[in-house]
Amino acid sequence: MKAILSYFERDMLRWIRGRVSVISALVMPAAWLIFVGLALPTTFTDHYIDFITPGILVLTMLGASLQGGSLLIFDKILGFLNKFLALPSSRESILYGKILFITTRGLIQATVILVLAFILGATFLSPWSLALTYGILALFGVLLSAFSTTVALFLSDHDAYAAFNAMVSMPLFFTSSALMPYAVMPAWLSPLAYWNPVSYAIDAIRALQEGVLAWPRIGALFLLAVMVVGISVRQFRKVTL
Amino acid sequence: MIPIEISGLTKYYGSLCAVDHLDLSIGNEIFALLGPNGSGKTTTVLMLTTLLRPTGGSAWMFGHDVEREAQEVRRLISYVPQDMAVDIKLTGRENVSLFAKLYGISRRDETIDRVLGMMDLTDRADDLVRTYSGGMRRRLELAQALVHEPKILFLDEPTIGLDVAARKKIWEHIRTLKSRGMTIFVTTHYMDEADHSCDRVAILDHGKVAAVDTPGNLKGMLGKDLISARVTGRFSGDLPAGIERLGEKENGEFVFSSDHASEKVPVLFRWLEDHGAVIHSLSVREPTLDDVFLALVGSRDEVTGFDDQKFRTMLRRR
Repeated sequence: MKAILSYFERDMLRWIRGRVSVISALVMPAAWLIFVGLALPTTFTDHYIDFITPGILVLTMLGASLQGGSLLIFDKILGFLNKFLALPSSRESILYGKILFITTRGLIQATVILVLAFILGATFLSPWSLALTYGILALFGVLLSAFSTTVALFLSDHDAYAAFNAMVSMPLFFTSSALMPYAVMPAWLSPLAYWNPVSYAIDAIRALQEGVLAWPRIGALFLLAVMVVGISVRQFRKVTL
Repeated sequence: MIPIEISGLTKYYGSLCAVDHLDLSIGNEIFALLGPNGSGKTTTVLMLTTLLRPTGGSAWMFGHDVEREAQEVRRLISYVPQDMAVDIKLTGRENVSLFAKLYGISRRDETIDRVLGMMDLTDRADDLVRTYSGGMRRRLELAQALVHEPKILFLDEPTIGLDVAARKKIWEHIRTLKSRGMTIFVTTHYMDEADHSCDRVAILDHGKVAAVDTPGNLKGMLGKDLISARVTGRFSGDLPAGIERLGEKENGEFVFSSDHASEKVPVLFRWLEDHGAVIHSLSVREPTLDDVFLALVGSRDEVTGFDDQKFRTMLRRR
Protein backbone atom coordinates (compact mmCIF):
# COMPACT_ATOMS: atom_id res chain seq x y z
CA MET A 1 0.00 0.00 0.00
CA LYS A 2 2.81 2.34 0.92
CA ALA A 3 4.56 1.57 -2.35
CA ILE A 4 1.41 2.40 -4.33
CA LEU A 5 1.14 5.76 -2.61
CA SER A 6 4.85 6.45 -3.23
CA TYR A 7 4.49 5.79 -6.95
CA PHE A 8 1.33 7.93 -6.95
CA GLU A 9 3.09 10.77 -5.16
CA ARG A 10 5.95 10.69 -7.68
CA ASP A 11 3.65 10.96 -10.69
CA MET A 12 1.56 13.64 -9.01
CA LEU A 13 4.57 15.82 -8.17
CA ARG A 14 5.90 15.47 -11.70
CA TRP A 15 2.52 16.38 -13.18
CA ILE A 16 1.90 19.39 -10.98
CA ARG A 17 5.39 20.76 -11.58
CA GLY A 18 4.96 20.56 -15.35
CA ARG A 19 2.59 23.52 -15.44
CA VAL A 20 1.78 23.35 -19.14
CA SER A 21 0.48 19.81 -18.85
CA VAL A 22 -1.81 20.83 -15.98
CA ILE A 23 -3.25 23.75 -17.93
CA SER A 24 -3.66 21.63 -21.03
CA ALA A 25 -5.42 18.91 -19.07
CA LEU A 26 -7.95 21.45 -17.81
CA VAL A 27 -8.48 23.43 -21.01
CA MET A 28 -8.95 20.46 -23.36
CA PRO A 29 -12.16 19.03 -21.86
CA ALA A 30 -13.58 22.52 -21.39
CA ALA A 31 -13.12 23.17 -25.08
CA TRP A 32 -14.96 19.97 -25.89
CA LEU A 33 -17.88 20.87 -23.67
CA ILE A 34 -18.24 24.37 -25.07
CA PHE A 35 -17.79 23.60 -28.76
CA VAL A 36 -19.64 20.31 -28.88
CA GLY A 37 -22.17 21.00 -26.16
CA LEU A 38 -23.23 24.44 -27.32
CA ALA A 39 -22.55 24.44 -31.05
CA LEU A 40 -24.03 21.21 -32.40
CA PRO A 41 -27.48 21.69 -33.97
CA THR A 42 -29.62 19.00 -32.38
CA THR A 43 -33.29 18.25 -32.70
CA PHE A 44 -33.88 15.32 -30.36
CA THR A 45 -33.59 17.39 -27.20
CA ASP A 46 -34.00 21.03 -26.30
CA HIS A 47 -31.46 20.78 -23.46
CA TYR A 48 -28.44 19.28 -25.19
CA ILE A 49 -26.04 20.38 -22.45
CA ASP A 50 -27.74 17.95 -20.05
CA PHE A 51 -27.46 15.22 -22.64
CA ILE A 52 -23.87 15.84 -23.67
CA THR A 53 -22.30 16.42 -20.23
CA PRO A 54 -22.16 12.70 -19.28
CA GLY A 55 -20.65 12.01 -22.70
CA ILE A 56 -17.95 14.64 -22.27
CA LEU A 57 -17.24 13.49 -18.71
CA VAL A 58 -16.62 9.96 -19.91
CA LEU A 59 -14.69 11.20 -22.94
CA THR A 60 -12.44 13.10 -20.57
CA MET A 61 -11.79 9.98 -18.50
CA LEU A 62 -11.19 8.02 -21.68
CA GLY A 63 -8.66 10.54 -22.99
CA ALA A 64 -6.95 10.92 -19.61
CA SER A 65 -6.68 7.15 -19.16
CA LEU A 66 -5.36 6.39 -22.61
CA GLN A 67 -2.91 9.25 -22.44
CA GLY A 68 -1.87 7.97 -19.03
CA GLY A 69 -0.38 4.87 -20.59
CA SER A 70 2.41 6.98 -21.98
CA LEU A 71 3.63 7.54 -18.41
CA LEU A 72 4.73 3.93 -18.29
CA ILE A 73 6.20 4.14 -21.78
CA PHE A 74 8.44 6.98 -20.62
CA ASP A 75 9.34 5.17 -17.40
CA LYS A 76 10.36 2.30 -19.59
CA ILE A 77 12.33 4.25 -22.21
CA LEU A 78 14.16 6.34 -19.62
CA GLY A 79 15.16 3.36 -17.47
CA PHE A 80 12.94 4.00 -14.42
CA LEU A 81 10.97 0.83 -14.92
CA ASN A 82 14.11 -1.31 -14.74
CA LYS A 83 14.96 0.23 -11.40
CA PHE A 84 11.43 -0.25 -10.08
CA LEU A 85 11.26 -3.85 -11.24
CA ALA A 86 14.50 -4.64 -9.41
CA LEU A 87 12.97 -3.49 -6.10
CA PRO A 88 11.62 -5.95 -3.54
CA SER A 89 8.28 -4.10 -3.30
CA SER A 90 5.56 -5.92 -5.21
CA ARG A 91 5.52 -5.28 -8.93
CA GLU A 92 1.79 -4.82 -9.18
CA SER A 93 2.16 -1.77 -6.95
CA ILE A 94 3.68 -0.07 -9.99
CA LEU A 95 0.44 -0.80 -11.84
CA TYR A 96 -1.80 0.24 -8.95
CA GLY A 97 0.17 3.47 -8.55
CA LYS A 98 -0.40 4.33 -12.20
CA ILE A 99 -4.11 3.45 -12.00
CA LEU A 100 -4.49 5.62 -8.91
CA PHE A 101 -2.70 8.59 -10.44
CA ILE A 102 -4.29 8.40 -13.89
CA THR A 103 -7.77 8.01 -12.43
CA THR A 104 -7.26 10.83 -9.95
CA ARG A 105 -6.01 13.13 -12.68
CA GLY A 106 -9.03 12.18 -14.81
CA LEU A 107 -11.41 12.96 -11.93
CA ILE A 108 -9.81 16.36 -11.46
CA GLN A 109 -10.43 17.07 -15.13
CA ALA A 110 -13.98 15.75 -14.83
CA THR A 111 -14.59 18.18 -11.98
CA VAL A 112 -13.69 21.06 -14.27
CA ILE A 113 -16.25 19.80 -16.78
CA LEU A 114 -18.94 19.47 -14.13
CA VAL A 115 -18.41 22.97 -12.77
CA LEU A 116 -18.41 24.40 -16.28
CA ALA A 117 -21.51 22.42 -17.26
CA PHE A 118 -23.43 23.81 -14.30
CA ILE A 119 -22.29 27.33 -15.21
CA LEU A 120 -23.50 26.72 -18.78
CA GLY A 121 -26.93 25.79 -17.48
CA ALA A 122 -26.87 22.06 -16.90
CA THR A 123 -29.40 20.81 -14.36
CA PHE A 124 -27.91 20.29 -10.89
CA LEU A 125 -27.52 16.74 -9.65
CA SER A 126 -28.48 15.68 -6.17
CA PRO A 127 -25.44 15.12 -3.91
CA TRP A 128 -26.18 11.40 -3.99
CA SER A 129 -26.26 11.30 -7.81
CA LEU A 130 -23.14 13.43 -7.95
CA ALA A 131 -21.27 11.03 -5.67
CA LEU A 132 -22.37 8.07 -7.77
CA THR A 133 -21.32 9.88 -10.94
CA TYR A 134 -17.83 10.18 -9.50
CA GLY A 135 -17.95 6.53 -8.56
CA ILE A 136 -18.84 5.46 -12.09
CA LEU A 137 -16.18 7.72 -13.59
CA ALA A 138 -13.60 6.29 -11.20
CA LEU A 139 -14.57 2.73 -12.12
CA PHE A 140 -14.29 3.59 -15.80
CA GLY A 141 -10.92 5.26 -15.16
CA VAL A 142 -9.62 2.17 -13.35
CA LEU A 143 -10.70 -0.04 -16.25
CA LEU A 144 -9.14 2.10 -18.95
CA SER A 145 -5.95 3.07 -17.11
CA ALA A 146 -5.23 -0.57 -16.23
CA PHE A 147 -5.75 -1.44 -19.87
CA SER A 148 -3.58 1.36 -21.25
CA THR A 149 -0.78 0.86 -18.71
CA THR A 150 -0.61 -2.85 -19.47
CA VAL A 151 -0.59 -2.25 -23.22
CA ALA A 152 2.25 0.23 -22.62
CA LEU A 153 4.16 -2.49 -20.79
CA PHE A 154 4.36 -4.45 -24.03
CA LEU A 155 5.00 -1.62 -26.47
CA SER A 156 8.57 -0.52 -27.02
CA ASP A 157 8.40 3.16 -27.85
CA HIS A 158 6.29 6.23 -27.76
CA ASP A 159 5.38 6.22 -31.46
CA ALA A 160 3.88 2.77 -31.12
CA TYR A 161 1.92 3.90 -28.10
CA ALA A 162 0.64 7.06 -29.82
CA ALA A 163 -0.53 4.89 -32.73
CA PHE A 164 -2.31 2.53 -30.34
CA ASN A 165 -3.93 5.47 -28.56
CA ALA A 166 -5.22 7.01 -31.80
CA MET A 167 -6.48 3.66 -33.02
CA VAL A 168 -8.42 2.96 -29.85
CA SER A 169 -9.71 6.28 -28.55
CA MET A 170 -11.54 7.70 -31.56
CA PRO A 171 -13.53 4.57 -32.54
CA LEU A 172 -14.37 3.89 -28.90
CA PHE A 173 -15.78 7.36 -28.47
CA PHE A 174 -17.66 7.72 -31.73
CA THR A 175 -19.26 4.29 -31.48
CA SER A 176 -20.57 5.11 -28.01
CA SER A 177 -23.79 6.74 -26.92
CA ALA A 178 -21.90 9.95 -26.10
CA LEU A 179 -23.19 12.21 -28.86
CA MET A 180 -26.70 10.91 -29.56
CA PRO A 181 -29.30 8.64 -27.96
CA TYR A 182 -29.80 5.11 -29.28
CA ALA A 183 -33.16 6.13 -30.82
CA VAL A 184 -31.64 8.48 -33.38
CA MET A 185 -28.61 6.31 -34.27
CA PRO A 186 -28.34 4.56 -37.61
CA ALA A 187 -29.45 0.93 -37.28
CA TRP A 188 -25.92 -0.48 -37.66
CA LEU A 189 -24.55 1.76 -34.93
CA SER A 190 -26.95 1.21 -32.06
CA PRO A 191 -25.99 -2.42 -31.21
CA LEU A 192 -22.32 -1.49 -31.52
CA ALA A 193 -22.86 1.45 -29.20
CA TYR A 194 -24.81 -0.65 -26.74
CA TRP A 195 -21.98 -3.12 -26.24
CA ASN A 196 -19.24 -0.47 -26.14
CA PRO A 197 -17.89 -0.16 -22.56
CA VAL A 198 -17.74 3.60 -22.99
CA SER A 199 -21.53 3.55 -23.26
CA TYR A 200 -21.84 1.55 -20.02
CA ALA A 201 -20.42 4.51 -18.15
CA ILE A 202 -22.31 7.15 -20.15
CA ASP A 203 -25.67 5.37 -19.86
CA ALA A 204 -25.19 4.81 -16.15
CA ILE A 205 -24.50 8.51 -15.57
CA ARG A 206 -27.47 9.53 -17.74
CA ALA A 207 -29.71 7.25 -15.70
CA LEU A 208 -28.47 9.02 -12.56
CA GLN A 209 -29.71 12.32 -13.99
CA GLU A 210 -33.18 10.77 -13.85
CA GLY A 211 -32.45 9.47 -10.36
CA VAL A 212 -32.24 5.86 -11.58
CA LEU A 213 -29.48 3.41 -10.69
CA ALA A 214 -28.73 1.45 -13.87
CA TRP A 215 -27.44 -1.70 -12.22
CA PRO A 216 -26.88 -3.80 -15.37
CA ARG A 217 -24.65 -1.13 -16.86
CA ILE A 218 -22.75 -0.45 -13.63
CA GLY A 219 -22.44 -4.19 -13.04
CA ALA A 220 -21.04 -4.76 -16.52
CA LEU A 221 -18.54 -1.98 -16.02
CA PHE A 222 -17.53 -3.39 -12.66
CA LEU A 223 -17.04 -6.93 -13.97
CA LEU A 224 -15.01 -5.67 -16.90
CA ALA A 225 -12.83 -3.57 -14.60
CA VAL A 226 -12.18 -6.52 -12.25
CA MET A 227 -11.28 -8.70 -15.22
CA VAL A 228 -8.91 -6.22 -16.85
CA VAL A 229 -7.20 -5.32 -13.56
CA GLY A 230 -6.82 -9.03 -12.81
CA ILE A 231 -5.17 -9.72 -16.13
CA SER A 232 -2.98 -6.64 -15.79
CA VAL A 233 -1.74 -7.66 -12.35
CA ARG A 234 -0.73 -11.05 -13.72
CA GLN A 235 1.19 -9.40 -16.54
CA PHE A 236 3.03 -7.07 -14.18
CA ARG A 237 3.92 -9.92 -11.82
CA LYS A 238 5.57 -12.01 -14.46
CA VAL A 239 7.08 -9.33 -16.67
CA THR A 240 10.74 -9.66 -17.62
CA LEU A 241 12.49 -7.48 -20.11
CA MET B 1 28.66 -17.58 1.83
CA ILE B 2 29.85 -16.39 -1.57
CA PRO B 3 28.31 -13.06 -2.63
CA ILE B 4 27.86 -13.95 -6.31
CA GLU B 5 28.05 -17.43 -7.77
CA ILE B 6 27.33 -17.88 -11.47
CA SER B 7 27.11 -21.28 -13.11
CA GLY B 8 26.46 -22.02 -16.76
CA LEU B 9 24.47 -18.81 -17.17
CA THR B 10 23.19 -18.61 -20.74
CA LYS B 11 20.85 -16.32 -22.63
CA TYR B 12 19.59 -16.72 -26.16
CA TYR B 13 17.59 -14.05 -27.99
CA GLY B 14 16.01 -16.24 -30.61
CA SER B 15 18.99 -17.94 -32.22
CA LEU B 16 21.44 -15.25 -31.12
CA CYS B 17 23.51 -16.27 -28.12
CA ALA B 18 24.06 -13.17 -25.98
CA VAL B 19 25.59 -14.89 -22.96
CA ASP B 20 27.22 -18.27 -23.36
CA HIS B 21 27.69 -20.55 -20.32
CA LEU B 22 29.12 -18.01 -17.95
CA ASP B 23 30.84 -19.36 -14.84
CA LEU B 24 32.09 -16.88 -12.26
CA SER B 25 32.55 -16.74 -8.55
CA ILE B 26 32.75 -13.27 -7.05
CA GLY B 27 33.75 -12.48 -3.51
CA ASN B 28 33.77 -9.27 -1.52
CA GLU B 29 35.53 -7.18 -4.17
CA ILE B 30 35.07 -4.71 -6.99
CA PHE B 31 34.51 -6.95 -9.97
CA ALA B 32 34.34 -5.59 -13.49
CA LEU B 33 32.86 -7.14 -16.57
CA LEU B 34 34.78 -5.72 -19.50
CA GLY B 35 33.86 -5.88 -23.12
CA PRO B 36 32.82 -3.95 -26.17
CA ASN B 37 29.21 -3.01 -26.86
CA GLY B 38 27.20 -6.11 -27.66
CA SER B 39 29.47 -8.52 -25.79
CA GLY B 40 26.68 -9.44 -23.36
CA LYS B 41 27.55 -7.29 -20.34
CA THR B 42 24.15 -5.71 -19.85
CA THR B 43 22.34 -8.98 -20.54
CA THR B 44 24.40 -10.60 -17.80
CA VAL B 45 23.58 -7.84 -15.33
CA LEU B 46 19.88 -8.02 -16.16
CA MET B 47 19.87 -11.74 -15.41
CA LEU B 48 21.79 -11.28 -12.16
CA THR B 49 19.36 -8.56 -11.04
CA THR B 50 16.31 -10.81 -11.65
CA LEU B 51 15.07 -8.65 -14.53
CA LEU B 52 15.68 -11.18 -17.27
CA ARG B 53 15.07 -14.90 -17.19
CA PRO B 54 18.13 -16.95 -18.18
CA THR B 55 17.75 -19.50 -20.98
CA GLY B 56 19.97 -21.86 -19.04
CA GLY B 57 22.15 -22.09 -15.96
CA SER B 58 21.65 -20.01 -12.87
CA ALA B 59 23.18 -17.59 -10.41
CA TRP B 60 23.03 -17.18 -6.65
CA MET B 61 23.38 -14.09 -4.48
CA PHE B 62 24.54 -15.19 -1.03
CA GLY B 63 23.01 -18.57 -1.81
CA HIS B 64 19.69 -17.23 -3.10
CA ASP B 65 18.73 -18.36 -6.59
CA VAL B 66 18.01 -15.39 -8.88
CA GLU B 67 15.08 -17.18 -10.49
CA ARG B 68 13.41 -19.08 -7.68
CA GLU B 69 14.19 -16.64 -4.87
CA ALA B 70 13.97 -13.41 -6.83
CA GLN B 71 12.32 -11.58 -3.95
CA GLU B 72 15.13 -12.44 -1.53
CA VAL B 73 17.70 -11.43 -4.12
CA ARG B 74 16.03 -8.06 -4.68
CA ARG B 75 16.31 -7.34 -0.97
CA LEU B 76 20.06 -8.00 -1.05
CA ILE B 77 21.01 -6.06 -4.15
CA SER B 78 20.75 -2.64 -5.73
CA TYR B 79 20.85 -2.02 -9.42
CA VAL B 80 21.84 1.21 -11.16
CA PRO B 81 21.23 0.90 -14.91
CA GLN B 82 23.21 2.95 -17.38
CA ASP B 83 20.29 5.17 -18.40
CA MET B 84 20.71 7.75 -15.60
CA ALA B 85 17.08 7.58 -14.57
CA VAL B 86 16.41 10.30 -12.00
CA ASP B 87 13.34 12.53 -11.95
CA ILE B 88 14.47 15.98 -12.98
CA LYS B 89 11.29 17.65 -11.76
CA LEU B 90 11.90 16.33 -8.26
CA THR B 91 14.56 17.47 -5.81
CA GLY B 92 17.47 15.22 -4.95
CA ARG B 93 15.92 14.53 -1.56
CA GLU B 94 12.56 13.63 -3.11
CA ASN B 95 14.26 11.24 -5.51
CA VAL B 96 15.98 9.44 -2.64
CA SER B 97 12.85 9.60 -0.50
CA LEU B 98 10.91 7.72 -3.19
CA PHE B 99 13.30 4.80 -2.95
CA ALA B 100 13.39 4.90 0.83
CA LYS B 101 9.59 4.58 0.83
CA LEU B 102 9.59 1.85 -1.80
CA TYR B 103 12.09 -0.12 0.25
CA GLY B 104 10.01 0.49 3.36
CA ILE B 105 12.92 1.98 5.31
CA SER B 106 12.27 2.82 8.92
CA ARG B 107 13.79 6.06 10.27
CA ARG B 108 13.56 7.45 6.78
CA ASP B 109 14.76 11.02 7.23
CA GLU B 110 17.90 9.87 8.99
CA THR B 111 18.67 7.37 6.24
CA ILE B 112 18.07 9.89 3.47
CA ASP B 113 20.38 12.42 5.11
CA ARG B 114 23.02 9.76 5.59
CA VAL B 115 23.10 8.51 1.97
CA LEU B 116 22.96 12.03 0.55
CA GLY B 117 25.89 12.88 2.80
CA MET B 118 27.83 9.83 1.69
CA MET B 119 27.49 10.97 -1.92
CA ASP B 120 28.41 14.60 -1.11
CA LEU B 121 25.00 15.88 -2.12
CA THR B 122 23.87 17.40 1.18
CA ASP B 123 24.31 21.01 -0.01
CA ARG B 124 22.22 20.53 -3.12
CA ALA B 125 19.71 18.04 -1.71
CA ASP B 126 16.74 20.39 -1.95
CA ASP B 127 17.44 21.68 -5.46
CA LEU B 128 15.58 20.29 -8.42
CA VAL B 129 17.59 17.58 -10.17
CA ARG B 130 17.15 19.53 -13.40
CA THR B 131 19.98 21.74 -12.14
CA TYR B 132 22.34 18.83 -11.38
CA SER B 133 25.38 17.94 -13.50
CA GLY B 134 25.78 14.47 -14.96
CA GLY B 135 28.14 13.39 -12.21
CA MET B 136 25.76 14.62 -9.52
CA ARG B 137 22.87 12.74 -11.10
CA ARG B 138 24.92 9.57 -11.12
CA ARG B 139 25.81 10.10 -7.45
CA LEU B 140 22.14 10.67 -6.71
CA GLU B 141 21.39 7.30 -8.27
CA LEU B 142 24.04 5.76 -6.05
CA ALA B 143 22.41 7.41 -3.04
CA GLN B 144 19.06 5.92 -4.08
CA ALA B 145 20.68 2.53 -4.40
CA LEU B 146 22.17 2.74 -0.90
CA VAL B 147 19.03 3.46 1.16
CA HIS B 148 18.44 -0.18 2.08
CA GLU B 149 22.13 -0.94 2.69
CA PRO B 150 22.47 -3.56 -0.04
CA LYS B 151 25.07 -6.31 0.21
CA ILE B 152 25.71 -6.23 -3.53
CA LEU B 153 25.66 -3.25 -5.84
CA PHE B 154 25.27 -3.69 -9.60
CA LEU B 155 26.43 -0.75 -11.69
CA ASP B 156 25.99 -0.84 -15.44
CA GLU B 157 28.45 1.55 -17.10
CA PRO B 158 28.56 3.86 -14.07
CA THR B 159 30.80 6.46 -15.71
CA ILE B 160 29.46 6.52 -19.25
CA GLY B 161 29.12 10.03 -20.62
CA LEU B 162 30.76 11.73 -17.62
CA ASP B 163 33.77 14.01 -17.76
CA VAL B 164 37.12 12.95 -16.34
CA ALA B 165 36.73 14.63 -12.95
CA ALA B 166 33.25 13.23 -12.43
CA ARG B 167 34.42 9.76 -13.39
CA LYS B 168 37.24 9.92 -10.90
CA LYS B 169 34.86 10.96 -8.17
CA ILE B 170 32.42 8.14 -8.94
CA TRP B 171 35.23 5.62 -8.66
CA GLU B 172 36.35 7.11 -5.34
CA HIS B 173 32.84 6.57 -4.02
CA ILE B 174 32.73 3.04 -5.36
CA ARG B 175 35.99 2.21 -3.60
CA THR B 176 34.69 3.69 -0.35
CA LEU B 177 31.59 1.50 -0.58
CA LYS B 178 33.74 -1.56 -1.14
CA SER B 179 35.85 -0.73 1.90
CA ARG B 180 32.62 -0.73 3.93
CA GLY B 181 32.06 -4.34 2.96
CA MET B 182 29.87 -4.07 -0.11
CA THR B 183 30.41 -6.32 -3.12
CA ILE B 184 30.45 -4.26 -6.31
CA PHE B 185 29.75 -5.65 -9.74
CA VAL B 186 30.36 -3.14 -12.54
CA THR B 187 30.31 -3.31 -16.29
CA THR B 188 32.39 -0.91 -18.29
CA HIS B 189 34.11 -0.54 -21.58
CA TYR B 190 36.64 1.93 -20.19
CA MET B 191 39.69 -0.32 -19.77
CA ASP B 192 41.76 2.24 -17.89
CA GLU B 193 39.11 2.64 -15.20
CA ALA B 194 38.87 -1.09 -14.65
CA ASP B 195 42.65 -1.24 -14.52
CA HIS B 196 42.94 1.40 -11.78
CA SER B 197 39.92 0.67 -9.67
CA CYS B 198 38.85 -2.95 -9.84
CA ASP B 199 40.11 -5.91 -7.84
CA ARG B 200 39.36 -8.40 -10.58
CA VAL B 201 38.10 -8.16 -14.11
CA ALA B 202 36.51 -10.61 -16.52
CA ILE B 203 36.93 -9.95 -20.21
CA LEU B 204 33.80 -10.84 -22.09
CA ASP B 205 33.83 -11.63 -25.79
CA HIS B 206 30.67 -12.61 -27.63
CA GLY B 207 29.06 -13.75 -24.41
CA LYS B 208 32.01 -15.87 -23.28
CA VAL B 209 34.60 -15.14 -20.62
CA ALA B 210 37.96 -14.84 -22.35
CA ALA B 211 39.89 -14.33 -19.10
CA VAL B 212 39.32 -13.57 -15.40
CA ASP B 213 42.01 -12.28 -13.10
CA THR B 214 43.40 -9.22 -11.38
CA PRO B 215 44.36 -6.43 -13.80
CA GLY B 216 47.99 -6.96 -12.77
CA ASN B 217 48.01 -10.67 -13.57
CA LEU B 218 46.24 -10.15 -16.86
CA LYS B 219 48.82 -7.60 -17.95
CA GLY B 220 51.54 -9.91 -16.65
CA MET B 221 50.44 -12.51 -19.19
CA LEU B 222 51.83 -10.25 -21.89
CA GLY B 223 55.29 -10.03 -20.38
CA LYS B 224 56.97 -7.03 -18.85
CA ASP B 225 56.98 -4.69 -21.84
CA LEU B 226 55.45 -4.29 -25.24
CA ILE B 227 56.70 -2.68 -28.42
CA SER B 228 54.35 -0.25 -30.01
CA ALA B 229 54.83 0.74 -33.65
CA ARG B 230 53.28 3.40 -35.82
CA VAL B 231 53.87 2.52 -39.43
CA THR B 232 52.33 3.05 -42.81
CA GLY B 233 52.38 0.55 -45.62
CA ARG B 234 51.62 -3.13 -45.37
CA PHE B 235 54.10 -5.67 -44.18
CA SER B 236 53.94 -9.43 -44.07
CA GLY B 237 56.13 -12.44 -43.44
CA ASP B 238 57.44 -14.29 -40.42
CA LEU B 239 58.54 -12.05 -37.58
CA PRO B 240 62.07 -12.42 -36.19
CA ALA B 241 62.45 -15.00 -33.42
CA GLY B 242 61.31 -13.86 -29.98
CA ILE B 243 58.84 -11.27 -31.25
CA GLU B 244 55.14 -11.90 -31.46
CA ARG B 245 52.51 -9.80 -33.07
CA LEU B 246 49.69 -8.94 -30.64
CA GLY B 247 47.49 -7.11 -33.08
CA GLU B 248 46.52 -3.79 -34.52
CA LYS B 249 44.47 -1.28 -32.60
CA GLU B 250 41.70 0.75 -34.13
CA ASN B 251 43.91 3.84 -33.97
CA GLY B 252 46.43 2.19 -36.31
CA GLU B 253 48.95 1.24 -33.62
CA PHE B 254 50.64 -2.14 -34.06
CA VAL B 255 51.52 -3.93 -30.84
CA PHE B 256 54.23 -6.58 -30.48
CA SER B 257 55.19 -8.57 -27.45
CA SER B 258 58.60 -9.86 -26.53
CA ASP B 259 60.39 -11.06 -23.42
CA HIS B 260 63.23 -8.62 -24.00
CA ALA B 261 61.42 -5.76 -25.57
CA SER B 262 64.16 -3.08 -25.46
CA GLU B 263 66.75 -5.33 -27.07
CA LYS B 264 64.33 -6.39 -29.76
CA VAL B 265 63.53 -2.84 -30.89
CA PRO B 266 66.49 -2.63 -33.36
CA VAL B 267 65.69 -6.12 -34.64
CA LEU B 268 62.06 -5.22 -35.24
CA PHE B 269 63.07 -1.88 -36.79
CA ARG B 270 65.24 -3.55 -39.42
CA TRP B 271 62.66 -6.24 -40.09
CA LEU B 272 59.83 -3.77 -40.61
CA GLU B 273 61.94 -1.69 -43.00
CA ASP B 274 62.95 -4.77 -44.96
CA HIS B 275 59.34 -5.86 -45.26
CA GLY B 276 57.92 -2.75 -46.80
CA ALA B 277 56.73 -0.62 -43.89
CA VAL B 278 57.50 3.07 -43.34
CA ILE B 279 58.19 3.54 -39.65
CA HIS B 280 57.00 6.70 -37.88
CA SER B 281 57.70 5.69 -34.35
CA LEU B 282 58.71 2.69 -32.35
CA SER B 283 58.53 2.62 -28.58
CA VAL B 284 58.61 0.33 -25.59
CA ARG B 285 55.86 0.64 -23.00
CA GLU B 286 54.14 -1.28 -20.26
CA PRO B 287 51.12 -3.37 -21.18
CA THR B 288 47.65 -2.02 -20.43
CA LEU B 289 44.35 -3.85 -20.14
CA ASP B 290 43.66 -2.58 -23.64
CA ASP B 291 46.57 -4.72 -24.87
CA VAL B 292 45.26 -7.71 -22.96
CA PHE B 293 41.98 -7.17 -24.68
CA LEU B 294 43.69 -6.93 -28.04
CA ALA B 295 45.56 -10.16 -27.43
CA LEU B 296 42.50 -12.08 -26.25
CA VAL B 297 39.68 -10.69 -28.32
CA GLY B 298 41.27 -8.88 -31.23
CA SER B 299 40.36 -5.43 -32.42
CA ARG B 300 37.83 -3.55 -30.35
CA ASP B 301 35.75 -2.63 -33.35
CA GLU B 302 32.09 -2.29 -32.54
CA VAL B 303 30.54 -5.70 -32.67
CA THR B 304 27.01 -4.46 -32.99
CA GLY B 305 25.45 -1.70 -35.00
CA PHE B 306 24.79 1.73 -33.66
CA ASP B 307 23.42 1.56 -30.15
CA ASP B 308 20.73 4.22 -30.08
CA GLN B 309 19.89 3.59 -26.44
CA LYS B 310 23.41 4.45 -25.43
CA PHE B 311 23.48 7.40 -27.78
CA ARG B 312 20.32 8.80 -26.24
CA THR B 313 21.75 8.27 -22.80
CA MET B 314 24.85 10.24 -23.68
CA LEU B 315 22.88 13.05 -25.28
CA ARG B 316 20.61 13.42 -22.29
CA ARG B 317 23.56 13.84 -20.05
CA ARG B 318 25.03 16.87 -21.73
